[in-house]
Amino acid sequence: MIGIANLQIGNLRSVSNAVDSFGYDHCLVESAEQLDSLTHLIMPGVGSFHRAMRNVSALGLREPIRDFVASGRPLLGVCLGMQLLGSSGEEGENTVGLDLLAGEVRKFDRTRVESIPHVGWNSVELEADHPVFRDVRSGVDFYFVHSYHFRPADQTSVVGFTDCGEKFVSAVAQNNVVGVQFHPEKSQANGLRLLDNFCGWDGSC
Amino acid sequence: MIGLTNRRALPVVELVRCTRCGLPETYETIEFDTAGVCNICRQKEFRDAAIDWPARRQQLAELVESYRGKHEYDCIVPFSGGKDSTFTLLYLVREFGIKPLVVQFNHGFMRPTLLKNNERTFRRLGVDVLSFRPNWRVVKRLMLEALVRKGDFCWHCHTGIYSYPMHVALKYNTPLIVWGEPSSEYTAYYDIRDDAMEQVDETRFNRFINLGITAEDMGGMISGDFEFDPRDLAPYTYPPVRDLRRLQYRSVCLGSFIPWDTKTQAQIIQDELGWEGDEVENMPAQLYPYEKIECHVQGVRDYITFLKRGYHRVTQMTALDLRNGRMEKPEADRLVREFENRRPPSLDIFLEYLNITEDEFNSIVLNTVVPPHRPDFDAIKPGAKTWDFDLWWREG
Repeated sequence: MIGIANLQIGNLRSVSNAVDSFGYDHCLVESAEQLDSLTHLIMPGVGSFHRAMRNVSALGLREPIRDFVASGRPLLGVCLGMQLLGSSGEEGENTVGLDLLAGEVRKFDRTRVESIPHVGWNSVELEADHPVFRDVRSGVDFYFVHSYHFRPADQTSVVGFTDCGEKFVSAVAQNNVVGVQFHPEKSQANGLRLLDNFCGWDGSC
Repeated sequence: MIGLTNRRALPVVELVRCTRCGLPETYETIEFDTAGVCNICRQKEFRDAAIDWPARRQQLAELVESYRGKHEYDCIVPFSGGKDSTFTLLYLVREFGIKPLVVQFNHGFMRPTLLKNNERTFRRLGVDVLSFRPNWRVVKRLMLEALVRKGDFCWHCHTGIYSYPMHVALKYNTPLIVWGEPSSEYTAYYDIRDDAMEQVDETRFNRFINLGITAEDMGGMISGDFEFDPRDLAPYTYPPVRDLRRLQYRSVCLGSFIPWDTKTQAQIIQDELGWEGDEVENMPAQLYPYEKIECHVQGVRDYITFLKRGYHRVTQMTALDLRNGRMEKPEADRLVREFENRRPPSLDIFLEYLNITEDEFNSIVLNTVVPPHRPDFDAIKPGAKTWDFDLWWREG
């Protein structure tokens, strides 16, 4: 069973449609008890870091999600979902994240990025091999919509970079946790392949 | 409809052609490089030089082993009885000793020699066979609609051939489906330089097989003047991908694992199975007795291609021979001149099926001509009947 975290911050349908087409059983996760039955958890997200973390807390999911990761099962954070993996974010107000990956979420540097938010198709240069990126080539395009980005403290967790005037980390992974700043569910064949790879991944590298 | 007599005669345009194989610029997916050589020739060079065929053969063996004995059948072999599917079936049974379910989508135009071949092949190889023939009344209406919309009346056949075996895979809980020839032998919808194998899946189905018309679209298009049950279109509908994925299906071409060579393979099925070739309208029978012998309106299909795109299957076949270094260019040019501008006798039968006149047929085809080609109806000469012409189904 693939869980899709419903943090009440939008856009779950594209992710669930994709997972459904791959043939997997899936459910929306809104409470801690549901995590037990899951093999994988996907955390999609559109919205602000502060509001999302407030919802995570209100749903009582912060520690259960951390326990889920500690159990070795795979977690994928998408867009804001990737940012929530970090230690803290400055969007809305300074907020503590899930702290699964050390690092901060910062707004793009206005002096370098001409147009914020960074919206549209952009390429992801892969820095490392990862099972979730199997058969996805370095340099292919994915779809982005965001104004903030995650800056991991540990550079060994970087899987891919993207340049939109400011070079930022667009894919990150550590043990059984993966985060992507782009929207694989909106990124056609390459994005669907990535999601499919994740759903079939056992969490080991 | 506008009669041809009202059309102003325009000068015939000389098409740009591949300097190596002679395929023209109106050929699907073609591009020429600075040397004037087409991408399909370049793809072939890559295929021969860079693909590790022994490794591919090993992959096939592993694939077959991973499915052996686990389902109702080891695999499904979609089968027309032409040279490619016959070779595929022979190869899988002889090389791997598998138990296949042979699935035949009978388009309604199978010729006597083909039926005899099928009978012999099935008996000699000892295989289970399912044959399915869709509602002929519906087929006729689908042919007319596809001809009018796309200048290609084969929609029912191409969609049915590629979707029906997938339904059977689900019904018989058999996830491995092995087709014959990959499309990359003829077109560049798939770039084999990616070293990515062509998956015979819904993406491919929607990319070019169904001409951009789903069965649901087709239902809407014909509903105004034709009574049918929506279920009549089920054989042309691709099954839900989710169902196929849950079955953990793999749908691949044998030609992705072994280098495809139609001429040699045709010889093998003749020697091993007694498979017989046949003459086809407006094709040099001595040279290509093994090609497209399965359909009695193949001549009409080839004729439409000639009117629309300015080349015919003789060009396509000689291109293959030129590419393989089996023919010289002057000989290819001679064959093209001799056979390509001929009207197939089967057109009369076809017009009866669709209940249209030849003027109407020509007007429909003119609407789908691929520029810069312009057909020259005045230059068309009558073609010869094949031996079995009088045995083909007639309306009325």
